[in-house]
Amino acid sequence: MVQVEGLTKLYGEFTAVNELSFSIQPGEVVGLVGPNGAGKTTTLRCLAGIIPPTRGTVIVGGHDITRAAIDAKRQLAFFTDEPRLFDYLTVWQHLNFVARIYQVADYENIGATLLEELELTNKKDALPGELSRGMKQKLAIACGLLHSPKVIYFDEPLTGLDPYGIRRMKDSILKRARDGAAIIISSHLLHLVQEICSRLLILKNGRKIADGTMAEVTQKFSESPGDASLEEIFFRATSDPVAPPVLPAETK
Amino acid sequence: MITALFYLQYHSTRNRLVTRFKRLQQPKYLIGAIAGGLYFYFYFFRYLFQGVGRGGAHAGVPAVPPELLQLVEPVAALVLLVIVVLAWLIPHARAALTFTEAEVAFLFPAPVSRRNLVHFKLVRSQLRILFSALLLTLFSRRVGGNVGIHALGWWLILSTLNLHFLGASFARTLLLDRGVSNWLRRLLVLALVGSLAAFVWLWAKQTVPAPTAADTASFTALVNYAQQVLNAGPALYLLYPFHLVVRPFFAPDAAAFLLALAPALLLFLLHYLWVVFSDVAFEEASVEASQKLAARVAAVRAGNWQAAKKNQKAKRAWFQLAPTGPPVTALLWKNLIGVGQIFSARLWIILVVVVVALVAGFGNAARSQNFSMLAAIIIASLLGYSLLLGPQLLRLDFRQDLPMADILKTFPLRGWQIALGEILAPVTVLAGVQWLLLLLGFGLIFFLPGKHQALIFVIGLSAVCLLPVLDFLLLLIPNAAVLLFPSWIQAGKDSPRGIEATGQRLVFAVGQMLVLLLALIPAALAFAAVYFPMKWGLGPIVPVPFAALAATLILAVEAALGVRLLGRFFERFDVTEATAS
Repeated sequence: MVQVEGLTKLYGEFTAVNELSFSIQPGEVVGLVGPNGAGKTTTLRCLAGIIPPTRGTVIVGGHDITRAAIDAKRQLAFFTDEPRLFDYLTVWQHLNFVARIYQVADYENIGATLLEELELTNKKDALPGELSRGMKQKLAIACGLLHSPKVIYFDEPLTGLDPYGIRRMKDSILKRARDGAAIIISSHLLHLVQEICSRLLILKNGRKIADGTMAEVTQKFSESPGDASLEEIFFRATSDPVAPPVLPAETK
Repeated sequence: MITALFYLQYHSTRNRLVTRFKRLQQPKYLIGAIAGGLYFYFYFFRYLFQGVGRGGAHAGVPAVPPELLQLVEPVAALVLLVIVVLAWLIPHARAALTFTEAEVAFLFPAPVSRRNLVHFKLVRSQLRILFSALLLTLFSRRVGGNVGIHALGWWLILSTLNLHFLGASFARTLLLDRGVSNWLRRLLVLALVGSLAAFVWLWAKQTVPAPTAADTASFTALVNYAQQVLNAGPALYLLYPFHLVVRPFFAPDAAAFLLALAPALLLFLLHYLWVVFSDVAFEEASVEASQKLAARVAAVRAGNWQAAKKNQKAKRAWFQLAPTGPPVTALLWKNLIGVGQIFSARLWIILVVVVVALVAGFGNAARSQNFSMLAAIIIASLLGYSLLLGPQLLRLDFRQDLPMADILKTFPLRGWQIALGEILAPVTVLAGVQWLLLLLGFGLIFFLPGKHQALIFVIGLSAVCLLPVLDFLLLLIPNAAVLLFPSWIQAGKDSPRGIEATGQRLVFAVGQMLVLLLALIPAALAFAAVYFPMKWGLGPIVPVPFAALAATLILAVEAALGVRLLGRFFERFDVTEATAS
């Protein structure tokens, strides 16, 4: 569903993403992890067609995101870490707007169901300014799912959600995957990645450090089978070979 | 403890200045700073370095008549009185010293006394006051007087007012704490001011003779009479403290200034003691105010002026948006909602009815040809202004949506479609206003002299088709600029302020005019190519709409090419670089 080949993004002299290649099949949930500045958001933005790659190809649903951007973008949804909404459009107007952009003829039924699922029905006529952080996130999700995307990218999907919201978000991601969507989740929350991702892609300084199922990646960075958690694996994969920071004596 | 607060203030200011100087290494700031510096020099500063001419004014700048100067001090005192009364009358909130969120987070939980926080606030407000005093001096200096006296005078007035506002807010809070509601306070203040005003009026009625024809015969006589009322009896006593505050500013020389300074400083000191020794809990209201301020600043810095507005309300869509059809319409629909209720369909209908009524109402009055000619000139001027100012004021396009560029880029639309959709809303609104003005103009035609009727009719007819295309072109320029130079135009993060920003705006205004002139050349040539050959056979009037149509076609082609180009700019627009800048 998503095929990335030699993806490179340069900002002047700085290489944000370096020769990244991977592919995702329908129904797969891929966790994109890495320390700050690893190139996760830049990668997602290139995959979503928001920024053009300097080199390499990104194929989404069989369409090149650079050459056939429109067809590729029809297949995907991208959820940013901060819900990005138009301040002067109400919840329902957002859905109406997105429906026209993606030509969703039956948007009223789909939209009503989504609002019901996301518990936003009674906020139909509210402006984003009247919504809590979590509700804004839900509205962004409703907008993104309205056209039933086949490829979904999440950038830190759990930011600002309460425990109920987190539970619902995880269920929603897994449901979409079961329905055949290819999903990429970029997150620093390793327990989330471990819980819902079927594959792991670790980036560091724009380069791919590891790519495989949880078991494969764990095996690659374990000293003995089953000796480490994902957190431990992450540190082994991404940290420089230097001594860990020494804590002050009183905090030890 | 107070030294730590001074340290914070000193280093914050210093670092801010250093950052601003450092960024002059970037051409966009350097060019802006040079252009802004030249503007400020030629418009303000050069007067500071020029000799004083006759009448105390500078060469080339008219002096204030001496008789008027005598009246200025009592009037200034009166204005100050009104400001102070309003400060006691209008506000309703509890005292809230505005701190930034960082200051609230660091200082409020820290062992810093309330008095020290007030001192910190006072010191910080001095920066704003000094800057305001400098600007006001630059203005007031242009009508004559000594620079030093003006600067110190302004500083004293602003500082005393600042202390008074603070003291009044503390007093208001104390009254609220003691159960005196805002309305009761307002009633008391109104009663006091009303009784004083009535007393002065009664006194004036009995002792000052009513103005005679001689008193209003000339400007000087009128000024003398007003001076007589303001400088005698209880009015003088009522205004006395305010006279003390403004007197140093109006001092003609250093000796008079020093003489006036002592009582003004004493008043300043009394205000300071009042503020510092008022023990009022302002922390809770300050926390709330700082949060609101931070939210507004964040919204403005993100270029989102809509969100920065208070009490935003949901607005009805201008038309029903079907889920299928050209996606460009969705952007037009969205941005028209952003225009708000002020330009609702209902308002358009009301405006049309008003215009029609006005035209009908002109009927008799407009039989006077002078009136109709004047109205026609006003309409033509308004149309001109709408072309010049409209594209600057209506920013419902990329200038508003650029912070959402990453979302727009995920839409399955081509660049030109997004560009077209973004520009259509301001064009629609602007063209609507212009057509309304033209409608009014057409109504007036019937009352104009016969020889002008036909000419004005064809010019109006030409404007009907020319204006929307011109609007479109004029809107393309700032939109292209915002995509090509986002950090120059966009009110994004770290957007420049001060001299650099003024300079950048000047540079862009000149650039826009040049681009527009270039775009008009082919249209003007097309106009001429149609007009002059037809003029030989048909006379000067008939060819005008045909020539205008040719010019419109050329402009439309340019607009279409412009949208394609704008779309390409948007496709190439790197949201990451824009955010980083």
